[in-house]
Amino acid sequence: MPLESATRAVRTGLIAFAFLSYLILIGIPGRIGGPALPVLALIAALFFWLILRRESIGQFRQVSGVGQDSSEGKPGWEIGPQAGANGSRVRELLPSRFGTPLVLKGLVSGVTTGLLVAIVSGIFATAMGNGVAIQPVLDKIVPLNIAALIGVSPGQIAQSDVSFIRFLVQVLLFAGAGILAALVAAAGRNEPAQNALTGRLSAHLSGPTIRSGGRFAGIALPFVLLVYIAWLGLPGVTAFGTNEGTVRLLLTLIATGSGLFALRLCRPGREKLVVAVLLGLGVVTMPFILDQFQNSVMGLVFIFVMMGLGLNIVVGYAGLLDLGYVAFFAIGAYTYAFLSAPFSSPYISSLLILLGISPESPLLGYWMALPVAMLTAAVGGVLLGIPVLRLRGDYLAIVTLGFGEIIRLFMLNLGELTNGPRGILEISQPALFGLTPVDVTFGLLSSQGWIFLLALVSSALVAFIANRLNGSRLGRAWFAMQEDEDVAEATGVHLVRTKLLAFAIGATFAGMAGQLYAARQINIFPENFSLFVSIDALALIIVGGIGSPAGIVLGALALKGLPEVLRGVDEYRIVTFAALLVIMMIVRPDGILPSPRRRIQLADPEEAVGDSDQETGEALADGDGGKEEDQ
Amino acid sequence: MTALLSIQHVTKVFGGLTAVDNVDLEIAERSITSLIGPNGAGKTTLFNCLTGLHRPEVGEILFNGSSLIGLRPDEITERGVARTYQNIRLFGRMTALENVLVGQHLRLQSSHWSAVLRTSRQQEEERAAREFGRELLDFVGLRGREEVVSTNLPYGDQRLLEVARALGSRPLLLLLDEPAAGMNPSETERMMDLVHRLRDEKGVTVFLIEHDMKVVMSISESVAVLDYGEKIAEGTPEEVRANERVIEAYLGPEVAVEEAAGNAVD
Ligand SMILES: Nc1ncnc2c1ncn2[C@@H]1O[C@H](COP(=O)(O)OP(=O)(O)OP(=O)(O)O)[C@@H](O)[C@H]1O
Ligand SMILES: [Mg+2]
Repeated sequence: MPLESATRAVRTGLIAFAFLSYLILIGIPGRIGGPALPVLALIAALFFWLILRRESIGQFRQVSGVGQDSSEGKPGWEIGPQAGANGSRVRELLPSRFGTPLVLKGLVSGVTTGLLVAIVSGIFATAMGNGVAIQPVLDKIVPLNIAALIGVSPGQIAQSDVSFIRFLVQVLLFAGAGILAALVAAAGRNEPAQNALTGRLSAHLSGPTIRSGGRFAGIALPFVLLVYIAWLGLPGVTAFGTNEGTVRLLLTLIATGSGLFALRLCRPGREKLVVAVLLGLGVVTMPFILDQFQNSVMGLVFIFVMMGLGLNIVVGYAGLLDLGYVAFFAIGAYTYAFLSAPFSSPYISSLLILLGISPESPLLGYWMALPVAMLTAAVGGVLLGIPVLRLRGDYLAIVTLGFGEIIRLFMLNLGELTNGPRGILEISQPALFGLTPVDVTFGLLSSQGWIFLLALVSSALVAFIANRLNGSRLGRAWFAMQEDEDVAEATGVHLVRTKLLAFAIGATFAGMAGQLYAARQINIFPENFSLFVSIDALALIIVGGIGSPAGIVLGALALKGLPEVLRGVDEYRIVTFAALLVIMMIVRPDGILPSPRRRIQLADPEEAVGDSDQETGEALADGDGGKEEDQ
Repeated sequence: MTALLSIQHVTKVFGGLTAVDNVDLEIAERSITSLIGPNGAGKTTLFNCLTGLHRPEVGEILFNGSSLIGLRPDEITERGVARTYQNIRLFGRMTALENVLVGQHLRLQSSHWSAVLRTSRQQEEERAAREFGRELLDFVGLRGREEVVSTNLPYGDQRLLEVARALGSRPLLLLLDEPAAGMNPSETERMMDLVHRLRDEKGVTVFLIEHDMKVVMSISESVAVLDYGEKIAEGTPEEVRANERVIEAYLGPEVAVEEAAGNAVD
């Protein structure tokens, strides 16, 4: 094994260990309990896989690059027969370099991580066994946590009764994780050169059998998870003890996310359509089988999906960096709040009394208020858009940032109208022909489930509209404007109209989201609309993949859903964000599920040509619309 | 012959620098006119004035009898003036076909609602636009490259694509800023042929900036010369080639004298 490969593998192991130690430090093993060690090993495997699958391509390029440059160490042009000879030598070089089997690399990485985990847990266990109190410094390093990490009971730690075998098991588990990751990575690509990676064995393993098997498993996964989630929810079924709610939430997040990947795995055409319909049905059943807690989290996730989709029009399609997006969210929320709970606003109630209308009951129901909230937000979007028409890049970001804050400060200080920091209270729930859905479905649908369902349907609608617009001449004009504003204008794009349309449509969707959010919260306060809402919306787009609706759903699941799973480590939420973002940017700089266009930009020329045909077709057929449309 | 474009006393000043200085020029309909001049003579600046990127301080620009001064670039394109750029400015992440579709943007009518609902009229319009886009790509010689992302096209093809994009707006006047710059002889040949076909088959009036004298002399029916923002000569290629001020501007005064002497000896 060449030294270069070895150091790289060790470094991968080190990075994985760094990530794991973060999880250990915030007390994750203790929370998971019994299965902590396998779970951590799986996380490590995921990490190895992400690195290894890049490794195999990365090295190919690097080797061929090195071969060309270092031929004679001579700079300048290589012309004629000499260049040809060079080229063939490069090709000859490849097999020997590729001789380092991917499995060996995975093994080295795994063992590195495993050894470090074993050493660290050994040190902590020994220290605690000898009565050293670590907790005052590292508050989550308690016997419970470390015991779960080693796979023993907390009592055994206290008596320093941990056998050496336990640490060996740790190392072996992580080594296994490395090998597993390598096998999956090798199976993932079936280029001929790949056969050399894992030797003869993987030539068979990476063949059609594993590929189609993996595809099938990938498509089946969300459905299996859904059934399991439903089963967990049945009365009388108990698992995971007090953690059941959290586990179900996590599974729901994974099921939703894996649904998006399943769609990608489908062959275009009938197969994709059928799976999309089934997935749509599956998602719609979720609000009925989840409990209040999971539904409320999923509702929030999908409210943010709407936000992300709207902001994506402004940032992803039109390329206008808007950091004040929360303003339209707030406008939508407060508009509905005023219409629904006029009695909470001193000014509006006195005005209504003057007009002889009782302020005690809502002025408009949820559905009648919807167009008003959307329109108000759209007007807000245009009003923000006009002054910033001439601004680009950083300047635009800063001015819009200010706008977002101004709206919040208005809400805070216009006490007569907005009731200031005391907020607007008792906002009414969306009803269905005057009935509450809880009654209509005989309690099957909880109030939060209803919000979740509405958020789902609204997101689907928003995704559908955004997708259609993006595929039209307006979408082309937005993208052209993003690429080169001056040329777009000279080519015939009306900049003012095109920009204002982006701001207005984006704002409309935020208004919709804001209204639903107000209904979900029942009571809203100016603090609900801080800068962080804008940042969250932007972050989930970046994490998911700018310009890609499916990526936005994943981003929302990761950034708004996961923190709820990690409730106990809430104080680390921002750090988790940062860590996630950093890892994301390293592993997939263009987002989890980037839009085909982004991929084109970052991919190699030759690769992109082939890629884009396939991907563009896929995006046209799917573009997430596929899944969402069918609901 | 009627003038399609009439440039009158156009002056553009950048700070203390007069980039275009009181230029008068008429472009006849369905003609091929070249604009030449040393580096920094103000040729591109004149194009920018014509397309609304810059607003000239003084002067009038009449196109088809109406003034272009003060119009936005997209309005000027709407009137029928399209252009390409000296340093290629394609929409890099878009495919070749998409670039041409953006070129057609202002000729497409369907509302954004109809795009959301995918009405049959909107679908029909999109289909026709794609069809026309393919035709244009075929016309400039980029058949089969429709789905290639434009940054991945070879340099020469990118220049051709710029022409196709400009044609998307169905222009009457096409401004080409150094269309053959950086091309090899065979690519230059193709470009010259394209310019001829543009005029002969599409009836487009072509106004181009070019440095390659061989191209200028063989392609254009009339030539205008700029130097330090001023128009110093105008006429047929032969007249311009023989013009002393032009030789002087290009080669410097002393060389020009020698050159003239050499000519005399010949
Ligand atoms: N936006 C601008 N701001 C300030 N000065 C400018 C601007 N654009 C052009 N100039 C100046 O105007 C003069 C004319 O430039 P222009 O680009 O029109 O020359 P050109 O004839 O196209 O030259 P080339 O053959 O090199 O393309 C130059 O001195 C240039 O520096
Ligand atoms: Mg120029």
